[in-house]
Amino acid sequence: MTVKWLMHFQPNQGTTLTSQVMAEACAVAESFPGVSRDGRWRSSMTFYRAVPRDQSLPAPSDLPRDLIGISLHDLPNEYLFVMRSQRLILRAHSSVQTVMDKLQSYKGRFFINFEGLQYKWGDFKLRIGKCLYNPNEALRGIVMEVEYLPLSSIDKSQRVMEEFYEIWREAVASKLLAGQFINTEVNFVEYGLGDSYTPQHTAVLYGMCVVQVIASSNKNQ
Amino acid sequence: MEPQQQAGSGDAPPKQVAQAMDRLGRAARLIAEIRLGADRILEALLVSNENPRLSEKAAELTLGEEDAMRRHFLDLRTVGKQLEDSGVLSGALRSRGNSWGLHMPLVCPDGAVVAYAWKRQLAGQAGASAVDRARLALKAFSDQKRRFFPQLEDDQLNRSNNDTIKFPPTKRPRLLHRPTQSPNIDSTEQKPMLADILKSIQTEAPGVTISTYQRLEWSKRAESLASTMNDSSLDQPKEQILSNLSGSFNEVAVIELVASGVFRVLVSLHPAGSTDPDAVAFFSPNEGGSYLHSRGMSVHHVFKHVTEYADKALQYFQSSDPNKALSHLLSWICSHQSLFTKNCSKCSKLLAMDKSLALLLPPVHRPYLLNSKDHDQDFATAYHIGCSSYDV
Repeated sequence: MTVKWLMHFQPNQGTTLTSQVMAEACAVAESFPGVSRDGRWRSSMTFYRAVPRDQSLPAPSDLPRDLIGISLHDLPNEYLFVMRSQRLILRAHSSVQTVMDKLQSYKGRFFINFEGLQYKWGDFKLRIGKCLYNPNEALRGIVMEVEYLPLSSIDKSQRVMEEFYEIWREAVASKLLAGQFINTEVNFVEYGLGDSYTPQHTAVLYGMCVVQVIASSNKNQ
Repeated sequence: MEPQQQAGSGDAPPKQVAQAMDRLGRAARLIAEIRLGADRILEALLVSNENPRLSEKAAELTLGEEDAMRRHFLDLRTVGKQLEDSGVLSGALRSRGNSWGLHMPLVCPDGAVVAYAWKRQLAGQAGASAVDRARLALKAFSDQKRRFFPQLEDDQLNRSNNDTIKFPPTKRPRLLHRPTQSPNIDSTEQKPMLADILKSIQTEAPGVTISTYQRLEWSKRAESLASTMNDSSLDQPKEQILSNLSGSFNEVAVIELVASGVFRVLVSLHPAGSTDPDAVAFFSPNEGGSYLHSRGMSVHHVFKHVTEYADKALQYFQSSDPNKALSHLLSWICSHQSLFTKNCSKCSKLLAMDKSLALLLPPVHRPYLLNSKDHDQDFATAYHIGCSSYDV
């Protein structure tokens, strides 16, 4: 799998996030020469909470109370689980969601959808999307995924991605958007992940990014 | 009479030409009819002369023919007028500027009808230049062959310096003894062995894994790479260069150089087992499939550009130092381990926007010129496409 970075948009202090920002971010992407639109993308995330079988007994401590389930746009047949407290990632077939519904050991508490536009720019792929809170489609954040197709090694692609990030930030700043994109920094080693990029890395990135997005949107409200 | 469509001056010249040809044909048929009619009248007169009983019938026939002839003459006059108006008979259109170079059908003095006046000219020219063109092409091919494949024995075609290809029988005995052409190298210097070259490159660049394959072995491996790419674990077992081969180095046709996480490069040798490289291609380490070979092309822009530049480097090494072309090439390839980390030596950035290609690329041009002392060549600099000077 090829290397990805994930960023989220941090609005300036005192400003609120609107759909206009999403349009402006897409305009920045489209302003680079050679960029071509490549369709739409959609991922979704579910926050599960454990449902204890017997209310009187304390919950076993080794079982996670919270689970994040992620369905990624580029892996429609798979479903990934992230247990942040245990730093574990599980990769399963997408039908596991049906199993979860039937077992009812974990119940989905709230849902987040990511959807937006995809761009191809030479060896880079950009995905800019809104982060929508499911029941009422409230805009919680804007995320951008950057993929560098030739490389799968996180270490070897570090400098390329850093320079791209700088180029992107400069472009955003020059177009005077009301905020900036912040990269999601993750220590993959803590999750037992290696240098070769995998969907598990993406799952961890999304898990961390969403936490930051929710925190920043709560702060601004 | 068929209804005629007038080709006005607004019609394209080809239509005018077609119409004119059509009218000339009709004129010819009318003339033939008139001749036949005249024959019939004369015959009728003869018959009535010889055979007075048939004179009435002959008279009827004559009158009928007369009518027909009159009609034919009128038609001929009309067609003739049309032809005159369109300038066929007078050549008046020859000087018209907007006729696309298509001149009206020309009725030559000898009676031949030529549809396009320039057609005759062209036919003549084509014949004369075909010989010249063939000669030039032959010279160009033999120059290229001499330059890029000096190891192939030329037995007949290379000797002439001037334009004509000569096959002088007196020179042939000398040709057979002539060694493979190598302008700079003393012919007594021995070519290094493949195993030695690979060993020294391995020592020089420990970060690169070098493997060798026979041609068919490589095809299988390329296919298997396509399926292993689908797994999440991309760590390929490291292969030592000597343990990889089942046989000797005599049949090695493909050298694979892998820098983990950076590139996979394929170099083909021709003939197999020799130390003469004939093609090179760069790929991403996560590519796999039957298109992975020394004449293939990566799907990624960065590797496409490096491969194009590598072709030039290979040609340069082959022409300037054929005995050591492989060593130089492999060293040069190994210098690309820093493809995604080394800044451009001119603008000091890693990524740069190439305006003409509309792509963001790292420095893909690494100068390959050899300096006069042929050791310690480190190929240390790198440039973006827009930053490199033309002759680097």
